[in-house]
Amino acid sequence: MKLLLVEDQVELANSIHNYFSREGDVCEYANSFTAASEKLHGYQYDILILDIMLPDGNGLELLEVVKRNWPEMGVIIISAKNALDDRLKGLDLGADDYLPKPFHLVELNARIKAVFRRRLQKGENVVALNEIQINLDTHEVHVHDQLLDLTKKEFELLHYFFVNRKRLLTKQAIAEHLWGDYMDAADSFDFVYQHIKNLRKKITKAGGEDYLDTVYGVGYKVRSV
Amino acid sequence: MNLIIRVTLLFVAVSLVVFLIGGVISFNVMMGEVDAEQKRFLRERLNRVSLIIERRNPEDTLERNKLTIIPLETISEEKVVFSDTLVMHAQLERMETHLKLEAIKNLNGKSYRVIIYDVIVEPDDIKDGLVESLVKIYLILLGAVIVVGFIVSAYMLRPFNLTLQAIKKFSLKDEDSVISFPKTGIAEFKRLNQFLEEMTEKVKSDYQSLKEFSENASHELQTPIAIIQGKLEVLLDSNKLDEDQVNQISSAQHTLSRLKNLSTSLSILTRIENKEFDQVSSINLSSQVDKMLNEFKELIELKSISLTVEIQPHVKIDADEVLCELLLTNLLNNAVRHNWENGAIHVSLQEDMLEIRNSGPDLEIDPNELFHRFKKSNQSSNSLGLGLAIVKKICDLYSCRLEYFQSDKQHTVKVSF
Repeated sequence: MKLLLVEDQVELANSIHNYFSREGDVCEYANSFTAASEKLHGYQYDILILDIMLPDGNGLELLEVVKRNWPEMGVIIISAKNALDDRLKGLDLGADDYLPKPFHLVELNARIKAVFRRRLQKGENVVALNEIQINLDTHEVHVHDQLLDLTKKEFELLHYFFVNRKRLLTKQAIAEHLWGDYMDAADSFDFVYQHIKNLRKKITKAGGEDYLDTVYGVGYKVRSV
Repeated sequence: MNLIIRVTLLFVAVSLVVFLIGGVISFNVMMGEVDAEQKRFLRERLNRVSLIIERRNPEDTLERNKLTIIPLETISEEKVVFSDTLVMHAQLERMETHLKLEAIKNLNGKSYRVIIYDVIVEPDDIKDGLVESLVKIYLILLGAVIVVGFIVSAYMLRPFNLTLQAIKKFSLKDEDSVISFPKTGIAEFKRLNQFLEEMTEKVKSDYQSLKEFSENASHELQTPIAIIQGKLEVLLDSNKLDEDQVNQISSAQHTLSRLKNLSTSLSILTRIENKEFDQVSSINLSSQVDKMLNEFKELIELKSISLTVEIQPHVKIDADEVLCELLLTNLLNNAVRHNWENGAIHVSLQEDMLEIRNSGPDLEIDPNELFHRFKKSNQSSNSLGLGLAIVKKICDLYSCRLEYFQSDKQHTVKVSF
């Protein structure tokens, strides 16, 4: 997967670049409107991660250019300006997603994966980890072909783990992913624990292996298999 | 009492005093004049009588109309004495006060006593006339003052009233509200308008910069928070950390998340104040509440809270959907957070009100302060203390009444719309 990150905050760009270069994906970085245009014309990218506020232009304009010339490219807007009309405008112009800053990198990863799947894998709708298969269209999970009865949140949780394999998912990132604006993360740690406990129970009961490692009580990680 | 009436009354009182004093002065002046004139008249008659005496040399007492001439035996010194006397008035047939001149005249070597008198203008008559005319003048003046006062003041105070209207229309929150004062030639009002213009400009620019500051502050915080969060996450994702280090990072992340929520909440409050949420549409509150309860269902179940719901279908309100969602989220969030394990929540929606009741420990603060920013029952708790402030702001925006009751470990928040 080839990513182009357009972000004028060098420090943030470094972190994102760092984080995404690790999985074998290519993540290139442009810090301005002009640099981004040059890169876009020189290379091919799958997904564009775009900050709206750039020193030499508006990211929304760049978005228009991208949609005109490379309509198949996935675009995720990241912006500190969590203004509703910006979000709507961005999505109207053809962005696939809008992620307000600050965000968890795992969350960005999940969004990228989702966009990648929709755009480039033509909606490939089954993700599998050995015996565990999740169907993103029907929201069904099968373990050894046995259908699991999961709640909506448990499904989301499992999916989140699947797209963030080998990443450490803190309870906080999980809570924010599951409940977003609805909950203060601090309150929901117990809920995260409860959900994971239930999820593990359901998977092992169906004969599946528990691939979740607890990392020092801080978070969880899907064990590499 | 308004200015015109006050000024008129003051004028009336002052002019009354002036008229009283003026009346006394006029009376005295007139009396003096009349007196002097009468005396001069009697003296002139005395002169004429003297001429007659010189010509005729009367030997006997001569008595004519209002004139008595008495030749004296001895030579006396000449003198003139005025006095008042009562004499029968021929036409009026009653006693009238007369002015009497009694003189000793030495003419042709003889002394004569000459007595002349004439009807006097009485002080009472003068007084009556004076009082009557003064009262009439005073009444005319009064009428004129009142009529002219009201007409003129309505005209003169017009700029002042227009200024008042302009101030009334002025709104701090409306950026485009330009306060324009009427032109006036009256120096005091000119100064007032100038002062008000400067003051409102200052207030507006102060408010504007304060608003911009809170907007920018919460907004500018997002980028550094994003950077820190990114760094921590990259750090946490490396596999070389021991447990203690991971815990330290996690704890830093935790605090950062509070900071993030804080700045988001403050930014929401500012944006509500700035009326940025203006996508008002008719919202089916019943289904909205239903949807929200669904979102919270698992949280409620995980805390083993029993939920009872009483929703009247098709309750509609006109509001911004985002704000409506924010309001419900914050209220339900509180009902879950400030609840006990195995507690209870009761949600009731009716045509004109939404009521959410939950069990939970007693408040430690004054319930009235609950809607203020950063007020929370337990100061050390993890909550930010902004949820109900946001709810209050939303209710204020849509002129809904927000109430809180507490009784027997039951907390009720009621929104009437």
